Amino acid sequence: MRTRLSLVMVLAVVLAACASVLGLRHDLPSHPFEHRAHVLKGINCVECHADVSSAGETGPLHFPDDAVCRRCHEKPHDNRSCTSCHGEPYVRQAAELARAQLRFEHPTHMIAVRGDCVRCHTQVAEARPETVLPKMATCFGCHQHRDQWTMRDCDGCHVNLRDEGAPPDDHLVHDGDFVREHGVRAASARDLCASCHTDRQCASCHGEGTVPALPWKLALGDVSLSGLHRAGFIARHAEEARADPGLCTTCHSESSCVDCHTRQNVAGTSVRSPHPPGWASGEHGVQARIDPMSCASCHGGAGEQLCVGCHSVGGPGGNPHGPGFTSHKDEHHDLPCRLCHGVGR
Amino acid sequence: MRSWVGVEGLVWAGAPSSTVTGDVLVLAVRVREPHGYAEARAGRFVLATGAVHPVQIDGAHVIARAPWGSTVETFGGLPVVPRFGARSYDWLAGGRVAQKLANAVTLGVSYVQRREDGDISNEEVGADLAAAPARWLDVAAFGAYDVTSPGLAEARASAAVRWSDWRVELFGSQMSPGRLLPATSLFSVLGDLASQTVGATVRWRAAPRLDLLASGATQDVAGGVGGNGWLRATLRLDDRGAGSLGVEVRRVDVPGTQWTGVRAIAAVPLGKGFRYSSEIEIVVPDNPDGRGAAWPWGLSALSWRSLAGWEIAGALEASSTPQQRYEADALVHLSYALGGAAQSHPVGGQYGTPR
Repeated sequence: MRTRLSLVMVLAVVLAACASVLGLRHDLPSHPFEHRAHVLKGINCVECHADVSSAGETGPLHFPDDAVCRRCHEKPHDNRSCTSCHGEPYVRQAAELARAQLRFEHPTHMIAVRGDCVRCHTQVAEARPETVLPKMATCFGCHQHRDQWTMRDCDGCHVNLRDEGAPPDDHLVHDGDFVREHGVRAASARDLCASCHTDRQCASCHGEGTVPALPWKLALGDVSLSGLHRAGFIARHAEEARADPGLCTTCHSESSCVDCHTRQNVAGTSVRSPHPPGWASGEHGVQARIDPMSCASCHGGAGEQLCVGCHSVGGPGGNPHGPGFTSHKDEHHDLPCRLCHGVGR
Repeated sequence: MRSWVGVEGLVWAGAPSSTVTGDVLVLAVRVREPHGYAEARAGRFVLATGAVHPVQIDGAHVIARAPWGSTVETFGGLPVVPRFGARSYDWLAGGRVAQKLANAVTLGVSYVQRREDGDISNEEVGADLAAAPARWLDVAAFGAYDVTSPGLAEARASAAVRWSDWRVELFGSQMSPGRLLPATSLFSVLGDLASQTVGATVRWRAAPRLDLLASGATQDVAGGVGGNGWLRATLRLDDRGAGSLGVEVRRVDVPGTQWTGVRAIAAVPLGKGFRYSSEIEIVVPDNPDGRGAAWPWGLSALSWRSLAGWEIAGALEASSTPQQRYEADALVHLSYALGGAAQSHPVGGQYGTPR
């Protein structure tokens, strides 16, 4: 019986610890402000947020201070400031950022909603910090902004989206495996992406001769960053390339491999052949069709003559074209056809 | 005031070996009609629109929009030669026309032609689609058709649904590597052995601070069927996500390569701007072939960030790779952000949502 009781107690302690770690229970002294309790007491929002009806786009926030609280709570239970516990500090911080980065003023909105703040602050009664400020979807409930959306005209509300750095959480969500997904998402909306993202961000991966050491790639402290090239990518890069033929060409030119291998001294005439014995007479043709990029990365340009030596018309290597190959090129004059089919071949 | 002109630049320099090198990655002027009717970029930038593959050019890109949802784009320029190499004055040009329908669907058609030494190295016609018929559903797709060697060069599609703490994405792709190479390359004439991938990714916020992410795909690589998948768990150590623990397991099993990898991360804020982080990965190939039975990699870093914008980080990195039996490096990263430290959204999301 005692053993079972001990087990239950240990389990309860573990569960309590888990609840805290997983975020199911807050263990900070501060907690979400008790908006619901105040509303149930019949207190109107503007009784505490008095300045809100005159607040402009700039200026101080309309958050009440201790003096406002003490108008009703005449005998505080603590000597500390009320806001040190009542209300999450980062809600105020988020509101300050919103004040700096959004063009918005309360007075005109209060007239439109006839003083009913909950029309926008729909979930303010829920005791969760993330529900205090309205989401953009709430704005879109009244302001369709279809024309602005179509015209990519975000400046009417956002001061500077590129500097804002706020990941959207109710539209264009960058969720899941977004590194893989972003290409197909951007195809129809590259200019929409450019509303927030700079050319620098695109060029850091898609630039010709991609740079391996830009500052944000060397974010040594941010190990939670995901991406194709994180962690021990150098060790597994050949495996990654084999697993998805052609993927490397999304960012890298066909000469990228040999450029890097030459710098790392793992390519060139001084290095033994990377191909297994019997490669030339064996499966090199099949492998070349699966991932021609790999061949081109070392044998491209002048190196193509190695192939032409055997595969030109009438050569011992035979026809290198795969089944069903067609091309609109002039075989005698256009590159690369003329290398094998040129006049005199 | 609404901004209508901007200039952006990114220049880097480095010394990868005994020589010093560098390049201009971006140097572009962006001009925009204040209400969005037109915008233009000129200079050096990455061009990517519709089904046109990303390419860095020295050129110009002009977009014109109409309030009824029509978009016309045109672009042209010289593909960038990296590291200030000799210019061959090859060029590319193209455009895209798109129309928005029912305020939920965008359809686009694009065309690009690229020439090297006067010969066509790439000529593609593409189509793209994006649709958001409901707030919980996003669909996107594009396909690029190679005109030079007729056939589908690349196609990708993705459909994602979101509800509550879940997000599920279904995706598929087809790539023809031979058609993605320049048509002037000898290796572009080998014929089409395309690879296809179909898979799904699921994200579940199991608890306010715990995210589980799983992905799996089946692949057909030139007639050989295989697959890959991974599972990732990320636990934030606080509501703001300043610290986190994570573990990821990955398996790749396609013709030509089979391996299993495990990765673990830890980031712990130490207070007063200090932060400790560590990352470990072990990859075990099924067929080592003399490249080592396992390829471990690890990094431990200590960083400090000031409110004035300075950040300094030091790290030790050690690994064993197929190329190097042992390797250890010491890394130092020093940066300064003009205008002070970037304002960070305290809880990651849009003004108040924990990420």
